[in-house]
Amino acid sequence: MIGELISKDDRFQEILERLNRKSVEDYYNPYRMFDWPESLPENRWWMSPQLTTTYGTDVAAELDQEQLYRLSRCESINFYSLNVDGIRELIVEVTRRIHTRGFEIPSEFFHHFIGEENEHMWFFAEFCLRYGKKLYRQMEPAGDGDSWPEAASFLVFVRILLFEELVDHFNSTMAADEQLHDTIRAVNRIHHQDESRHIAFGRELVSLLFEDLKSKATEEQLLQIQEYVKRYLNYSFESLFNPQVYRDAGIPEPFAVRRRLLASPRSAEFQQQVFRKPLNFLIKTGILQDRDLMPAERGAA
Amino acid sequence: MPSTTSSNVDAVRNWLLAKHPERESIAPDEDLIAARFVDSLSFVEFVLTIEEASGVEIDREAIDLADFRTLSAIQKKFF
Repeated sequence: MIGELISKDDRFQEILERLNRKSVEDYYNPYRMFDWPESLPENRWWMSPQLTTTYGTDVAAELDQEQLYRLSRCESINFYSLNVDGIRELIVEVTRRIHTRGFEIPSEFFHHFIGEENEHMWFFAEFCLRYGKKLYRQMEPAGDGDSWPEAASFLVFVRILLFEELVDHFNSTMAADEQLHDTIRAVNRIHHQDESRHIAFGRELVSLLFEDLKSKATEEQLLQIQEYVKRYLNYSFESLFNPQVYRDAGIPEPFAVRRRLLASPRSAEFQQQVFRKPLNFLIKTGILQDRDLMPAERGAA
Repeated sequence: MPSTTSSNVDAVRNWLLAKHPERESIAPDEDLIAARFVDSLSFVEFVLTIEEASGVEIDREAIDLADFRTLSAIQKKFF
């Protein structure tokens, strides 16, 4: 039982206390935190070029500078939109578990987590609606039949953690990128600061949940978990490659472009960069045995 | 042999079969979700495949799973 594992784990509880204190000490009013200029200059990068999906590919070589800037605008709105939809799932799932059996001890942290995530969702949506005039909606995940109830919490928190880790790679890069406008850097910096607490918590909780699961799972079930986690890493990475974005950026044949980009050697390299830290974590905990993520059909596309 | 009248829905069928090499065919009324042809992590790719083949942009906020459950439902709705 996860509640029992947590209550016996002094280290986890000390970390939780420290993170709770940090959340209180670092509390800020997001609604007053940012300068929101009327508009942002269009003849600049809105996203660090190395984070755009065409970077280092033949597709980028076919675009002029103005098209690359436009693409970076659309890709940045897609990235913040992914955050809005990702945070929705995360708030729903954590809210389902707060003050329920097994989660008594982390519930205090869950209050900070839900509150902070609500604020992040607000400033990401604000950015998209103000400067992109839209949110790119993702599809609600559908089609899971009989799930494995004992693994549900592990799968939820591992998804939350991996989503946060992906986002954090982008946030930390853009916060430090002097090519970007101050407002863009500030949004990414503030999110990175809060997420470092959430990621620290997520790694501890996922480790404990995995330990709990491992003690009850068969070898075959552990292999299924590995496969699911790898597929989730591919799914979340591929969500960066949105045909609607390519269409809005004025790039012809958006579906074919998406396929070309996903099949390019650069995308495998980019994915390894994005997930470098979480892959270290997944291997250290034994959740994964290797870092090989490239699905066969992507390479063959 | 294609069991539908549209060649476009064949692109969707081919995509599903390519992902499931253990299968040789899919009946038009086979439940794709129950048969695990599609799950939550492949649903996005599945919808993009239908969009590309049909030329119809699918509203992300108005997805009714019933329209995606079988090849015949997909053909009726999107082709």
